[in-house]
Amino acid sequence: MSTATKLVTMNGAYDDLLRRTLSGIPCDLARLIYLASTRDYNSGMYHHEGLSARYSTALARDALQTAHRDIFFRLVALSLEELVGEMESYVRMSREAPIGFVHAWQELEPYRVAVPMEVDATMVQLFLSNIRVALEVLRFRQERGPACPPVSSPLPLLGQ
Amino acid sequence: MGGSPVMSTSIFLTCGVILVFLLRLLASGRDGEDQARVAAPERTRRKSGYALQSRELVFRIFSPGDRDFVSSLRSPQLLRMYREERRKVALHWVRRTSREVGEIMRTHRLISRQSHNLNVATEAGLLLQYLELRSLCSLLVLLISIFGPHALNDLATYADGLYHRLARALPENAAVDGVAPSGNSAAP
Repeated sequence: MSTATKLVTMNGAYDDLLRRTLSGIPCDLARLIYLASTRDYNSGMYHHEGLSARYSTALARDALQTAHRDIFFRLVALSLEELVGEMESYVRMSREAPIGFVHAWQELEPYRVAVPMEVDATMVQLFLSNIRVALEVLRFRQERGPACPPVSSPLPLLGQ
Repeated sequence: MGGSPVMSTSIFLTCGVILVFLLRLLASGRDGEDQARVAAPERTRRKSGYALQSRELVFRIFSPGDRDFVSSLRSPQLLRMYREERRKVALHWVRRTSREVGEIMRTHRLISRQSHNLNVATEAGLLLQYLELRSLCSLLVLLISIFGPHALNDLATYADGLYHRLARALPENAAVDGVAPSGNSAAP
């Protein structure tokens, strides 16, 4: 397969991933978590059953990796205020109690494993730092109580 | 006593150099802000292959917008946490930039040693740029460590406040209140 053909097919797999899967996820933070979950912890390889069946394992892997990086870059480029908005959307989507969610994220720091491999070290630092501050902002708003915008009106869960 | 004028001159010159650096940094920061605003729609249009540009990353790290947002929440504890977090990221970026440019220059030096047709003027220019960048990074590390990641804005605000206090304190300028520094005189 020539390089040009390979690129066209990879773009096809990427578009397919965007259209069929990622467009159904309401916010970039949730997309990032989803894409990170398609990556094997031990090998760092991405896998998606449906995409591999339609294209090939290698093309599906490339598409997932590219999408993961793109969404990560988008999140790093957000202002802190926008990131707090992303987190609020994600909390609504998760349907967890907001207080419990923030507590778990601050304790377990699951967002650390959502970072793609081989990206700029300063970007990773900025992303992790912004998430920590955004969580603190959410906690502060929760403690402030009803004066702040409520985290309600749950959005549909993935696949619903 | 004889060395005193020399000392004063060198202190004056050092202050001048630092001021020039600060002004250049401030100016480039504003450029970055404007360009990032212009570039935003372009970024949203692209579907794939988007990578955060180095300049945009710098803008994001040093952007005062994030601090303004945290300040608007009126929590000193939150603001302290934000400053500490952003200070770490800013220092990470400056130190890495400084380290990387050092590595590039080391590689260049090794290659230059084997070259037979070196252009002295070009090499001198490169060396000057290198020294300028290293000095700038050292200055940034110092400023960020002491004053935080938004040091330049903070220093400018502080200088403005100092200017007004000083102007008010001088009896012959008692009427200076409300008189803005040049450039703001068109305000109603």
